[in-house]
Amino acid sequence: MKESVVIKGTKSGIILVLDDKLPYEQLKEAVADKFHSSDEFLGNVSKAISFQGRELTDEQQEEIISIIHENCHLNIVCITIDDPEKEADFSRAIENKYAVQDANTGQFFKGTLRSGQVLDVETSIIVIGDVKVGAKVVSKGNVIILGTLEGTVYAGSTGNTNAFVIALDMNPMQIKIADVIARAPDKPARLKKRHKPETKIAFLEDENIYIEPLDKDVMNDIKL
Amino acid sequence: MGEVIVVTSGKGGVGKTTTTANLGTGLAMEGKKVVLIDTDIGLRNLDVVMGLENRIVYNLVDVIENNCRIKQALIKDKRHQNLFLLPSAQTKDKTAVSPEQMKKLADELRNEYDYIIMDCPAGIEQGFQNAIAGADRALVVTTPEVSAVRDADRIIGLLEANEITKTHLIVNRLRSDMVKEGNMMSSDDVVDILGIDLIGIVPDDEHIITSTNNGEPLVGSDCLAGQAYMNICKRVMGEDVPYLNLDVKEGFFQKLSAIFKK
Repeated sequence: MKESVVIKGTKSGIILVLDDKLPYEQLKEAVADKFHSSDEFLGNVSKAISFQGRELTDEQQEEIISIIHENCHLNIVCITIDDPEKEADFSRAIENKYAVQDANTGQFFKGTLRSGQVLDVETSIIVIGDVKVGAKVVSKGNVIILGTLEGTVYAGSTGNTNAFVIALDMNPMQIKIADVIARAPDKPARLKKRHKPETKIAFLEDENIYIEPLDKDVMNDIKL
Repeated sequence: MGEVIVVTSGKGGVGKTTTTANLGTGLAMEGKKVVLIDTDIGLRNLDVVMGLENRIVYNLVDVIENNCRIKQALIKDKRHQNLFLLPSAQTKDKTAVSPEQMKKLADELRNEYDYIIMDCPAGIEQGFQNAIAGADRALVVTTPEVSAVRDADRIIGLLEANEITKTHLIVNRLRSDMVKEGNMMSSDDVVDILGIDLIGIVPDDEHIITSTNNGEPLVGSDCLAGQAYMNICKRVMGEDVPYLNLDVKEGFFQKLSAIFKK
């Protein structure tokens, strides 16, 4: 005989598969029995729940959750939707919301980033120190380096074309903004005469990365 | 069907990377299709010596982990159309790759290129095992110093144990003036100790340092080291080339210091 109530576990929650033939009252009893007998196995944890196999009204859903709460120690914190399209929509909306927020919030990092070290952040980042050759800074937002930039920087790593990179001494190996990569010229700069440090900004315009001295005009054009 | 060559030494700092860069460039100059693979994960150098560091987007670990296709990670050389570099990753370590994966990669590249040259890291741990996994032949680089020769001997033993029997010796940084005075082992001494065939002798040449710093291998140039590397390339391709006379003409400063010594 097919079971009228099946509990499936996922990473963060449980899926409750319900029989759609059974009358509702009988189903409630079946749910109560099932969770009562599985109490020990399920333990005392917080989970999300989603329903499958049977259309339930909002009241019925709530009723079932209260039955679960009565019969075991499981804590149902939310109901998730079992529609992949809707779910994708929701998660996209949440991500976009966070991406916009993250680009305009920042973090500080103090220290020198040396070869092989990677600083990967969700927000904009201000590095108080140098980024040396072979080191990498990756940010979804903007990157500001209060020191020498000789390494690699990826700004706007999730595709933000307004992202920019500022360094007090701009001498990067490679800069990537959104999907565009610019690399240093081939003659190694370190063998040239020591250059005078100059604060510069790298930004994206018409699919090209430009590096210019940071003056008033350029600053006015910065979009946050 | 291409040949997979591993350049190895055991000891560090004897010139594996310089040899790899020059060998690859020389073979490309001879019209061969060549891929250089830097297997020193975490301490990459070959890209710097080749002057291609600023072009790196993907690396060996990205290829192994299928983050990109091989073609995307291969960097075309600045000067030679048929020379490519697969750079190593700087942010991972040797355990990111297994010998089986390296063998598979080498076999894939074999179909399209004439020579696949592996730049081996120093040591005999996993990095070494990765580098030799797919190799058909090995070039063992050593300098005429007891420590380097001792390590080379160990390496030759390990290569034999891994069934790589086609092994040749490159004696690097030889100073003929010191050999003459009896203060340095000669290449013959090194060959006697190691018991494998010689394929090249490279003199100690300051041009190497400039070429490394500029990121342009000097193979094929007029200096002694450039000629010596070109000869190695030809011998790798199976040609019979006589060895160079490495006697350095006395420069101004040597003459000067000789006067003061008196």
